[in-house]
Amino acid sequence: MVPPSPRRTELLRGVLDLCLLAVIDEGPAYGYEMTKRLRDRGLAIVGEGSIYPLLGRLERDGLVETYRAASNGGPPRKYYRPSSSGRVALALGVSEWRAARDAVDAVLAPVKIEVAS
Amino acid sequence: MSDFVEQCRREWKRLGVPDPLAEEMATDLASDLADAEAEGVSAEEFLGNSVFDPRSFAAAWASERGIIPVPSGRSTGRRRPFVLVAFTTLATLTLVVAALLLATGQPTVSLVATRAAQPHFVPSPPGAFVAPPGTSRQVLLHTDTAAPVEWILLLLAVFALGFAAWLWSSWGRTRPPTAPA
Repeated sequence: MVPPSPRRTELLRGVLDLCLLAVIDEGPAYGYEMTKRLRDRGLAIVGEGSIYPLLGRLERDGLVETYRAASNGGPPRKYYRPSSSGRVALALGVSEWRAARDAVDAVLAPVKIEVAS
Repeated sequence: MSDFVEQCRREWKRLGVPDPLAEEMATDLASDLADAEAEGVSAEEFLGNSVFDPRSFAAAWASERGIIPVPSGRSTGRRRPFVLVAFTTLATLTLVVAALLLATGQPTVSLVATRAAQPHFVPSPPGAFVAPPGTSRQVLLHTDTAAPVEWILLLLAVFALGFAAWLWSSWGRTRPPTAPA
């Protein structure tokens, strides 16, 4: 397993809460299910630490709602879904992310990447 | 991985996390780790670097949920102002006292007490007023220099206030931002 670069880790740290809100906005999910959805989109969170403290913060801040339900015959799992204020935070965060991404792209777009062989 | 969960349990117990909440978190964690293992996902891939430090992981989870107070390392930002406030107050008081002493000019005379029972004779300084004899004697000394103690106090207070100002600005720069909404 290749460890992620520190820059990637720092970049993701600032938007991981948005990513979690986004994947549970598609449908309620429990902890591992969220990481699976992220991984299916190519976003392995290796190196960024666990999602649990982040979920704890989202819960404490009232951005997610939780409930317990059975899953595939296993023990009841804790499911997360965005609250109404969580959806607002997601919309605002996505807007901020897009603005920042576009601004950075405008600066970095002219850079030509040449990899020496 | 049950060892990881057990270490988390122990840490939550040590931190005073209520048993029902600790049990809930441990159950969720164990179930998720079992799912990951069943799908061939390693614990490191699932938990990241946290897998190497269960105690920090457990403490971070509990504190982010608001179950326990923020760990000491993060509370420094809240403790520091108390020390700074005390230091700044002390420096300000010293400055005021030194300035008052200089303004009134009272401490240009210092009082020296000497014991009569001393084993060897201590002559009175020239020009000194010697108090009536007793078990001890007191000698009033007129200092020629312009209140050096007050000047030293004043300088110390000014330096201390400058240092306090630097600490305040440094604290303001390093203070962690408030959590995002």
